[in-house]
Amino acid sequence: MSDVAAKVKAIIVDKLGVDESEVTNEASFTNDLGADSLDTVELIMEFEKEFDLAIPDDQAEKISTVGEAIAHIEEAVK
Amino acid sequence: MIKSFFLGDKEIRLPVIQGGMGVGISLSGLASAVANEGGVGVISSAGIGLLYKQSPADYLRDSIWGLKEELRKTRKLTKGIIGVNIMVALSNFADMVRTSIAEKADVIFSGAGLPLDLPSYLTSESKTLLVPIVSSARAAKIICQKWQANYNYLPDALVVEGPKAGGHLGFKTEQLEDENYSLEKLIPEVVSVASAYSHEKAIPVIAAGGITTGEDILRIMKLGAAGVQIGSLFVPTYECDASQLFKQSYVSSSQKDTMIIQSPVGMPGRALDSNFIQSVSEGKQRPKGCPFHCIKTCDYTKSPYCIIMALYNAAKGNMDKGYAFAGANAYLAEKISTVKEVVQKLKEEFSIAHNRLLAKRI
Repeated sequence: MSDVAAKVKAIIVDKLGVDESEVTNEASFTNDLGADSLDTVELIMEFEKEFDLAIPDDQAEKISTVGEAIAHIEEAVK
Repeated sequence: MIKSFFLGDKEIRLPVIQGGMGVGISLSGLASAVANEGGVGVISSAGIGLLYKQSPADYLRDSIWGLKEELRKTRKLTKGIIGVNIMVALSNFADMVRTSIAEKADVIFSGAGLPLDLPSYLTSESKTLLVPIVSSARAAKIICQKWQANYNYLPDALVVEGPKAGGHLGFKTEQLEDENYSLEKLIPEVVSVASAYSHEKAIPVIAAGGITTGEDILRIMKLGAAGVQIGSLFVPTYECDASQLFKQSYVSSSQKDTMIIQSPVGMPGRALDSNFIQSVSEGKQRPKGCPFHCIKTCDYTKSPYCIIMALYNAAKGNMDKGYAFAGANAYLAEKISTVKEVVQKLKEEFSIAHNRLLAKRI
């Protein structure tokens, strides 16, 4: 697992209070991990803070799974 | 006397915001009457295109025209302060926001979702104030942080709507009866979010949901709110834009008629029970088509009924083909009166409660 992936997953476990084993790349924040609309916005804000980057809202809207979040951030911090 | 407060540079003499009620419940009639009493009158933009159907019907175009017309009519009837309520969940959210700003509405109130990009519609000359409606301190905080980071703008006020409100509710059904989510709990939490910005901007907090008497207003203000938002109390008034039958449904309802339904918008909603709601639960109201696509998240093939038509029908008095949204205390309505009488009663009750409080201290 990349550094980014490990950090992203740790943030998700912490924020959503889910078990690490549930946080697979395919897991959807809302459908699988029980996140509501506030949780998803807070998660994105947390990623922005941790990786010191800005994720515009139109791009944030497209991030719905753990894998998509990791891919987006890996691309952005390159 | 109830204390006034400032919304931006505007003094609100009567610290009462009339809650936006759609479809077609709060339009120019009600909004202008409340504004004339010194409060803030609010036009609901939800489904307004249905009320201004032109031939051939084009929901998006008709909605813009309808909102312009209602703002123009309201201006003719009052010099007071006028807002527009625009739900984030509306597909034509951007159209309604742009129209409100172009037509110089004094305030935009926006809830039913997080209005994260609302400040992006402001222009260099616009003076329209932006007020999100939230149901938690968390949402208030997210909006403040995002607006400040992305637009260097902070809300001009925050409306906090508790679980006793009518219409769409920003809570999970099981939270509605939970004391931890009561309005009395929420107000100080949201006030504390607003206070964190006090060195940059004064953000008054306006509380809503189930407020019925002047005594309620005093109690709410003691918790730190600068004003209140009231909806249901203004429905059984002559000036309210709904049909007589809709108003009458409030007057004749009792507590047991008030119920929680699941709305196609994806949130629970509080409404008055009706034959229509019963037939929805029997699966008899499934929409056959969707001419408007009015709600971003609504998939008509999965919705148990078409909400815009149900609310429109009710507003028009066709109660068998729809239902009335209503707050938890709406059933207390006893008669139809004027907005002036409603406001007068609130003021008197406030004074009595206030004097009682002063007497206790002596």
